[in-house]
Amino acid sequence: MKFNSITMDHGSGGKLTLELIEDVFKAEAKLDSAILGDIAFTTDSHSIKPIFFKGGDIGKLAVCGTINDLLCVGAKPMYLSSAFIIEEGFLIEDLEKIAQSMRYTANQAHVDIVCGDTKVVEASKGFYINTSGIGKIVRPIDGTNIKPGDQIIVTGNIGEHGFAILNERENLQVSSNLQSDCSELSSLILPLIESDLDILWMRDPTRGGIAMCLNELCYKKDFGVEIFEELIPMSQEVVSISEMLGIEPYYSANEGKMVIVASKQDASKVLDILQKNPFGKNAAIIGNITENHPSKVLLRLSYGTKRLLNMPIVEKMPRIC
Amino acid sequence: MRLSRFKDKDLVLSLAEKITIKAQNLDLVRIMHVCGTHENSIMRYALRDLLPENIKLLAGPGCPVCVTSSKDIDAIINYGIKNDCIIATFGDMLRVKGSHHSLLSASRVGLSVKMIYSIQEAIEYAKKTTKEVIFFSVGFETTAAPTASIIKNVNLPENLAFFSVHKYTPNGVLELLKSGRLNINALILPGHASIVSGLRPYEKVSFDFKLPCVAAGFEPVDVLAAILMILEQIESNTSKVENEYERLLNYDGNKLAQKAINEVFDIVDSIWRGLGTIKNSGFEFKTKYDFLNAKVKFDIQFSDEFIEEHKGCRCAEVILGIVEPIQCPMYAKLCNPQNPIGPCMVSDEGTCRNWLEVKGEI
Repeated sequence: MKFNSITMDHGSGGKLTLELIEDVFKAEAKLDSAILGDIAFTTDSHSIKPIFFKGGDIGKLAVCGTINDLLCVGAKPMYLSSAFIIEEGFLIEDLEKIAQSMRYTANQAHVDIVCGDTKVVEASKGFYINTSGIGKIVRPIDGTNIKPGDQIIVTGNIGEHGFAILNERENLQVSSNLQSDCSELSSLILPLIESDLDILWMRDPTRGGIAMCLNELCYKKDFGVEIFEELIPMSQEVVSISEMLGIEPYYSANEGKMVIVASKQDASKVLDILQKNPFGKNAAIIGNITENHPSKVLLRLSYGTKRLLNMPIVEKMPRIC
Repeated sequence: MRLSRFKDKDLVLSLAEKITIKAQNLDLVRIMHVCGTHENSIMRYALRDLLPENIKLLAGPGCPVCVTSSKDIDAIINYGIKNDCIIATFGDMLRVKGSHHSLLSASRVGLSVKMIYSIQEAIEYAKKTTKEVIFFSVGFETTAAPTASIIKNVNLPENLAFFSVHKYTPNGVLELLKSGRLNINALILPGHASIVSGLRPYEKVSFDFKLPCVAAGFEPVDVLAAILMILEQIESNTSKVENEYERLLNYDGNKLAQKAINEVFDIVDSIWRGLGTIKNSGFEFKTKYDFLNAKVKFDIQFSDEFIEEHKGCRCAEVILGIVEPIQCPMYAKLCNPQNPIGPCMVSDEGTCRNWLEVKGEI
């Protein structure tokens, strides 16, 4: 299906986003950052409603997102740029809060925000932040040596950011405790990168959730992914809201989690390191790479049955009844 | 253990085993459910894989947006494009194609639409605008009841009107059985919708057609327990209405909700997409509510020329349990969630969409 114009689904991080990258930008969606010799380079634009949400704000999100993207390829995040597109009428007070939040988050990660840009657009056009980031490659992690038997690890409870935002934005009032997991993961991931453990691939499962992330892992590859329902960590809050909305947690965005592929012999050591860090206390091995069903993600259910976990095609919408 | 007891693994496996043992003495049993949420649960947990070959679970007409007629969609789009008003409805409804446009695609050629999550949100939205807001009110008893209750009890903004495409499940099922189009041996009754209607309306269905009927909840244990109860009825050669979903579903239903529905709506003949006009199967506002019935208030015109089934689409056969989605030549190819040709590909309640999500592009 070819579209004449952009739809919201082109930005949902799902199948249509991939098609846009391949068909229009003539590029390949490979890694979260480009690896340029010893340097990792990445960029990310952020728009979110509401701008301030439980667990973070657009500024924190913009800094965390880019730091996490650098970590994915095995880099130590060093410098960020930040470019603002601000609608006329936006409160200076809110902008101050956002800037403060960005400084704080960058400091936590020992990253400097070294350049920036500001543009103002007409009222009601929205508020956007783009951050680009440079990191120093400690060792390149680019997914080239993935093989059947390798283990898949997720660093904590899934689905929290997506459901928390949906809950607030649409005023669903179904859950009061749920908050976004928005966080930068350098304290969690750097020790892994700096170790000699056999880590083959990492990605932060943002838009489209772990379903999208795992589908990207095996997209057009000669291997598939197999995960086990019972092993996937999630909070009771997420389970409840998921059931009320009829949207599975696998498709809900995360902003403070990492999916890691590690070799079979090192996976439990990786898990040990993760679980000692507060950001990784719920980390778990959730499945493995398989030579069966190439390019597909299979979800094994606790009853011994199985089904596909497909790439999200259009944004999931809450059901009617 | 995060799985609730209605997902409990041991219980699910033991029910599956009992079903398998009981099925050994039975011929082919075709069990139909009539709720999209049941199909969603069945696919999501791959429950069909736990059943023996001679127990077939069929997805009936249980997805409200799937049975919404193009005639209604066309009418609201035509009116909305020509007049300065906003059409508010649920997300699923936006993508369902009428004869030419869905509400979503029509929004690119001048229709104003607003996706809402509940009727309350439509009210709040209408209060904030001076434009006329028309709530395209879709769904079975489950959503007809809150619509009726709000119309009775809440002071509504004057610029909010309603376009009812609500359907009444028990009569829909009864009339389809009368027409001989359903080749089934038993029914799983919808948990949510029956909370409103209760189970008495299904007694006629069960009696007249000698069909075991069991109302069920939506967790794996519920669905399998209902199947086991059905097989027990078949084995003992009885047919009655039973309630597996006792924890939420009262046999007599919700009297308050029924009262609200009866005060606000008349039961009328209604077009179910792909199935034609079904006697006494829809809810329309009583004349005393003409002032908020968009069809009357704005004199909305309906055309008798409308396309329910686009060329090649087999949705009608899918919702009658005659074919499986994968037997449709357009499944996952021409018809997909990005560009749903048939209504069953739109919503997570739709059978084709459900199949595509968990079976992929076969």
